[in-house]
Amino acid sequence: MSNASLSAARDGNAPLGNARWQTPEALRRISRRNAAERRFKLIGLGAIVLSLAFLALLLVIMLKNGLGGLDWSFLSGSDSTDPDIAGVWGAAKGSLLTMAVTLLLSFPMGVLAAIYLEEFAPRSRWIEWVEVSINNLAAVPSIIFGLLGLAVFINTLGMPRSSPLVGGLTLALMTMPVIVISGRNAIKAVPPSIRDAALAIGASKMQTVFHHVLPLALPGILTGTIIGMARALGETAPLLMIGMRAFVVTPPGGITDPSSVLPMQIFLWSDEIDTGFVQNTSAAIIVLLVFLLAMNGLAIYLRNKFEVRW
Amino acid sequence: MTNSKLTARNVDVFYGQKKAINNVSIEIDNGIVTAFIGPSGCGKSTFLRSLNRMNDTIADARVTGEILLDGEDIYAAAMDPVALRARVGMVFQKPNPFPKSIYENIAYGPRIHGLAPAKADLDGIIESSLTKAGLWDEVKDRLNEPGTALSGGQQQRLCIARAIAVSPEVILMDEPCSALDPIATARIEELIDELKESFAIVIVTHSMQQAARVSQRTAFFHLGNLVEYGDTSQIFTTPREEKTKDYITGRYG
Repeated sequence: MSNASLSAARDGNAPLGNARWQTPEALRRISRRNAAERRFKLIGLGAIVLSLAFLALLLVIMLKNGLGGLDWSFLSGSDSTDPDIAGVWGAAKGSLLTMAVTLLLSFPMGVLAAIYLEEFAPRSRWIEWVEVSINNLAAVPSIIFGLLGLAVFINTLGMPRSSPLVGGLTLALMTMPVIVISGRNAIKAVPPSIRDAALAIGASKMQTVFHHVLPLALPGILTGTIIGMARALGETAPLLMIGMRAFVVTPPGGITDPSSVLPMQIFLWSDEIDTGFVQNTSAAIIVLLVFLLAMNGLAIYLRNKFEVRW
Repeated sequence: MTNSKLTARNVDVFYGQKKAINNVSIEIDNGIVTAFIGPSGCGKSTFLRSLNRMNDTIADARVTGEILLDGEDIYAAAMDPVALRARVGMVFQKPNPFPKSIYENIAYGPRIHGLAPAKADLDGIIESSLTKAGLWDEVKDRLNEPGTALSGGQQQRLCIARAIAVSPEVILMDEPCSALDPIATARIEELIDELKESFAIVIVTHSMQQAARVSQRTAFFHLGNLVEYGDTSQIFTTPREEKTKDYITGRYG
């Protein structure tokens, strides 16, 4: 717009300069906008406070109920019908073994699938179909994965019921799509100019991906992996289906021994009538939360460690 | 055969159904700088990227016709695109050093091609490449600092050093100065002038002054066609085609 049309658009009698913003209407408009901004900030803050308050409430109740039960015999014992003898170690060890199986399977599979889909797969109808399937897989309710694990791993392949092996395999199926999706996003976020740079000095596609793209995508992939693993750690429903709700009084010696996991132990104890188990339930929740916090802490540490700045 | 390093014969480049380059034939000689000029979207970068098969990375790009490097068809089955790109290096519009140290940036190429069996060989390549790129004196005391911490002009010279380090025969430059200030641009132009002794250089540029300053031959592209190709002095003083004349006199573009 030219200067002439600008002044033509302005009312002939309207004040110029800063005075134009000091008229009663202008001041009202500005104060209305400021008020809207203040209201929005307040509502946003309220939303945060509300959700944090529930978290605080949970923590306070758990600590109040459970802290008294957290002693060495609780941390080192296994399940029992007597709440004073019952401990969490059996379930914790079951969780550790299950997570190990899950990680060993879902991480390499998920990362390789993500690399293939993002860097090597030709654009075709078939690949689009694979992508849609993986996204859908991430949204399948976990109980369905439990049924799948029961049908395939236990009934068809004859693997031992209630074992961390089957639990880990089942949770790996659930975690893999999460890793594929976060891995693809991390790979996509690596600037194409880095690929060009490597290709232009005669690096092969493989070298470009493994020497340059993957190291830069690693922090994002690790973060996604740990978020997926944390979800798997808290998962109960699919493990119900494969029999990990068994009453196990000795910690599993290996991945094929019958075992429980932490969230399952919480579920089992919360069902008990004996009041002694209320304290055990709360104490086990504290142990599970510490586990989860440790994993999130690890995620942040790894992301910062591998992050490359430029 | 003449002195021609790269020869293109009846080259068409398609992106899907769209024809980006139409029947281009050109001979690019050793020991000189050849400039590609033309308005945006005229296909000069597309054509440049087909000279080292960087277009292979674009899914629906297709090249027909013949492009010969020392008489060998670069699109023939016997030509490995990876080996080809070691022979025909490329420098991009935006400096794109790896987010690694200056040393590692240059060492990467020689390492993957097995050019430096011993650490001493590699150190030698690093020094000579950086020297040729006019960067050695500025960075010799901080080879372990990240390449991305350098200024834009230094980064672009680092990218040139990285391309030189694998001893290519041709260096393609895709608007190498468009992200740089005039002083950094002048440094790169001086460098291009020195490098033409050792490599055939092809430079795509938006700046006609730059083409006039650094090149000995100029090719003018318009709408995917090679309109005119000749000695730079002739193109800029007595263009044969009306379109070339209109472009270099600033009538459009």
